[in-house]
Amino acid sequence: MTTEIHTLLGPYVLDAVDDLERAAFDRHLRECAECRAEVDELREATARLGGATWSVPPPRLRENVLAEIGRTRQLPPVAEKPPTAFRWRRLTAAAAVVVAVAGAGAVAYEVQDQRVRTERATAEAARAGEARVRAILTAPDLTVREEALTTGGRLTVASSGMYGAGVVMLAADGSAPDGKVYQLWTLRPNTAPASAGVLEPGQAATVQLVEGLAGVTGVAVTVEPPKGSTAPTTTPIGDVTL
Amino acid sequence: MAERGVGRRSEHLSAVPDPQAPVDVGELLRVVARGDERAFGQLYDIVSPRVYGLIRRVVRDPAQAEEVAQEVLVEVWRTAARFDAGRGSATSWIFTIAHRRAVDRVRSEQAATERNARIGAASVDTPYDVVADEVSGRLERQQVRRCLEGLTTLQRQAVTLAYYQGHSYPQVAELLDAPLPTIKTRMRDGLIRLRDCIATGATA
Repeated sequence: MTTEIHTLLGPYVLDAVDDLERAAFDRHLRECAECRAEVDELREATARLGGATWSVPPPRLRENVLAEIGRTRQLPPVAEKPPTAFRWRRLTAAAAVVVAVAGAGAVAYEVQDQRVRTERATAEAARAGEARVRAILTAPDLTVREEALTTGGRLTVASSGMYGAGVVMLAADGSAPDGKVYQLWTLRPNTAPASAGVLEPGQAATVQLVEGLAGVTGVAVTVEPPKGSTAPTTTPIGDVTL
Repeated sequence: MAERGVGRRSEHLSAVPDPQAPVDVGELLRVVARGDERAFGQLYDIVSPRVYGLIRRVVRDPAQAEEVAQEVLVEVWRTAARFDAGRGSATSWIFTIAHRRAVDRVRSEQAATERNARIGAASVDTPYDVVADEVSGRLERQQVRRCLEGLTTLQRQAVTLAYYQGHSYPQVAELLDAPLPTIKTRMRDGLIRLRDCIATGATA
């Protein structure tokens, strides 16, 4: 399934996108004034949906909120827009770049969902990865493809032919069973699948930046023993054709 | 008008809102941005039932809804100076923050409990009915209901499942047994129709 980033406008306004899609769409908005105007207009409509739900909060909420603002410093108005740093900060709000995983001739940076809050981020990998992710997600030819996992969940690949790279996102409904792990693979015709990253036991979601996508015809995910395998040992639970 | 306004500006702004004369939330927000806690108290009184109501609708659990509402309202205080009137109304800005936080909470709950995303087909019919119940009474709510009724069934379900239930568009697609591109399109169409309907009602 091929998806132009622009088609996410409706879901974006309804907050029905995931963190990666939101980050990509935020980027898209910066370059598309028309889309920005439409988003703003449609938000007025959703605000009316929001205004239609009315429920009196408990009185203590008022006390708590007023007490908290008394000790909360207000942000200054946005004076300058530091273009790159600001953009990236918005993305890191959704994801933190971590460990670099090296495949055969391909470098993959594992980006983990903020909610998983993995602490092992390394500054070097982050610096290298963030610029790259930023570049890819702002690519004019960004294409998002998505397939369901047979075990529930989704495998999403946002790729750019221009950069020959992509961002792969796995969001399984649950972690792999029996202490096993999910492993991502890039597929090339007449070549054995190459590992594009192994998840930790108990980990159900990941975002990976995959370089060297040129020639790759698909991305698949399998369930493997902890630490992963050199070649898939089970039938893929999901694959996206590029 | 001009004479009454002289020297009374701040007093006017901190006065108890007259139900006959709707207070301009945007104007209040500008005062709040200058650190005026009294103005914030007023803003709180105007928007908190709607903010809390929306969050409760999405999050469901009252205790969690209260937590999220507190986060949102404090965020409104904290970032008041970042509100850009050129990009929409203050109310819309506040609801955008509230809805986003509510959905974030729902999603992190889902992730935490690894809850199966499959929800019974029965729940598909509920949001609109529940909305219809809650929207009865007030003019604005009547208008929203009327406008929701003006959508096609699929548009309405796509919009309400995402907005009121906090479902992602793939979840909505699964619930409605419709292809992803269709759902994305219906969400956008539905919002456009809603916007047009609401705009018409406002001038009537």
